[in-house]
Amino acid sequence: MTKYKTINPTTLDEALETLNGCNVMPIAGGTDLLVKFYEVYGKSLPKLVVLDGLIPLHEIKTENDRISLGPLVTFSEIENSPELRKAAPQLVQAASVAGSVQIRNRATIGGNIANGSPSGDLIPPLYVLNAELELSSVNGRRSIPIDKFFKGPGITVLEKNELITSISFDKTFENGFFLRLATRKALAISKVSVAANYSMQNGTITNVRIALGAVAPTVIRAPRTEEYLSGKELNDNVLSTAAKLIKEEAKPISDIRSIADYRREMVGVLLKRGLNGIPQSE
Amino acid sequence: METILNTNVEIKVGFKLNGLLYEKSIPANWTLLQLLRDGLGYYGTKCGCEIGECGACTVLLNGQAINSCLVLAPQIEGAEIWTIEGVADSINSLHPVQRIFIEYDAVHCGFCTPGMIMSTIALLLENSSPDENTIKTALAGNLCRCTGYVQIIEAVKKLSGIITEKDLEKFRYSE
Ligand SMILES: Cc1cc2nc3c(=O)[nH]c(=O)nc-3n(C[C@H](O)[C@H](O)[C@H](O)COP(=O)(O)OP(=O)(O)OC[C@H]3O[C@@H](n4cnc5c(N)ncnc54)[C@H](O)[C@@H]3O)c2cc1C
Ligand code: FES
Ligand code: FES
Repeated sequence: MTKYKTINPTTLDEALETLNGCNVMPIAGGTDLLVKFYEVYGKSLPKLVVLDGLIPLHEIKTENDRISLGPLVTFSEIENSPELRKAAPQLVQAASVAGSVQIRNRATIGGNIANGSPSGDLIPPLYVLNAELELSSVNGRRSIPIDKFFKGPGITVLEKNELITSISFDKTFENGFFLRLATRKALAISKVSVAANYSMQNGTITNVRIALGAVAPTVIRAPRTEEYLSGKELNDNVLSTAAKLIKEEAKPISDIRSIADYRREMVGVLLKRGLNGIPQSE
Repeated sequence: METILNTNVEIKVGFKLNGLLYEKSIPANWTLLQLLRDGLGYYGTKCGCEIGECGACTVLLNGQAINSCLVLAPQIEGAEIWTIEGVADSINSLHPVQRIFIEYDAVHCGFCTPGMIMSTIALLLENSSPDENTIKTALAGNLCRCTGYVQIIEAVKKLSGIITEKDLEKFRYSE
């Protein structure tokens, strides 16, 4: 029998020290890692650093107008946080439609980011919240904006000996939404997703930020659509033009989950639905 | 009543299962599902897909429904686990969730049933009178290839009128 070792540290320093070794990787909820473990790592199985015991990394903290989440905060904890419901509605909506109850109870925000999938559902919301990631290793800490973290599907700037130790953003109290399409409502990975954050002032939309999931090698912003919408009144004409523009900004591929044309079309549909205040269907 | 059961091999984990304390040495790469079935002989928790898709392996971990196929055994150190074997207080007195599932024909081949029952208990712990949408959301991670779900949803609806805190209290996790 092939075996891998696991280590259960209780302090961050201990965890970082262990991660600095050879052939070691962290495990949080395990919902990505355990699915692909044998497939990807075959016989040279790494040692696993079990992060569960690092209590401070499970916390949701508020300081003045800033919220910071420990990487071990689960989708369920995000879904049930009254604070986040007010301050980051798009993040809460994304957390509550992903996976199943069983997955949401284990899946962590840190794992979702580190896994680096363009269809990771918490990532588009974090783009429109302008989230900052704190990365820590034995060599110290660095801070990086979420949109500088991803290099391609499954590829990130995270070094082997680094942990994501915090995810922080300003409380918005603005409008926001997250909508996705998947083969079925539960237990399916997004084919397309759209997240947005914006303010409404005297009937016009301002401070628009829009991010798209699963339609490019990484999550992307839609700057031309954002610019077009800025300062406009949200009527049918404006929404149709915005939907047309955003389809051009998406760079989808065809794969096992969907085809490029459908994805491009649906980006526009989801944007219109979201700005019209239509919720994810039950 | 708490008993410590000791067996010997490899990595050591201590946990509470169905109200009993265990300390067990097991291969470090075992999932909780393997520990339950191969390690302890509790075959009530079913093994379906082993990738989090079917819910047949659902158990309660610290009061929450999780897929035991996606938890590594060393991650359950100090945890409290309930499986289908712990649901009835004795062989002669089925738990109300079990009784109503039988009464409503919510059990056909029975493969999904242990998982369905554990997900139902987890739901009732949070909300003892859930509406239909809440029930559907709570059970969306449990596949059933036989019933078509209608009987299961009806059974859980029925439970909201009759389940009491006394039926649920042993499953509640207190840190
Ligand atoms: C059945 C099923 C359904 C799913 N549905 C969805 C869905 O709808 N939407 C969605 O977005 N995802 C979904 N997922 C994917 C998965 O649940 C999420 O990506 C989850 O957030 C991963 O988190 P985790 O804690 O389980 O990560 P793990 O599996 O523990 O880790 C994933 C990767 O991140 C690394 N890592 C974890 N934490 C850190 C950290 N703090 N610092 C550095 N590296 C770290 C690990 O080493 C590993 O490489 C699904 C998975 C399954 C099995
Ligand atoms: S066996 Fe665990 S979800 Fe299918
Ligand atoms: S009763 Fe057969 S799978 Fe549900």
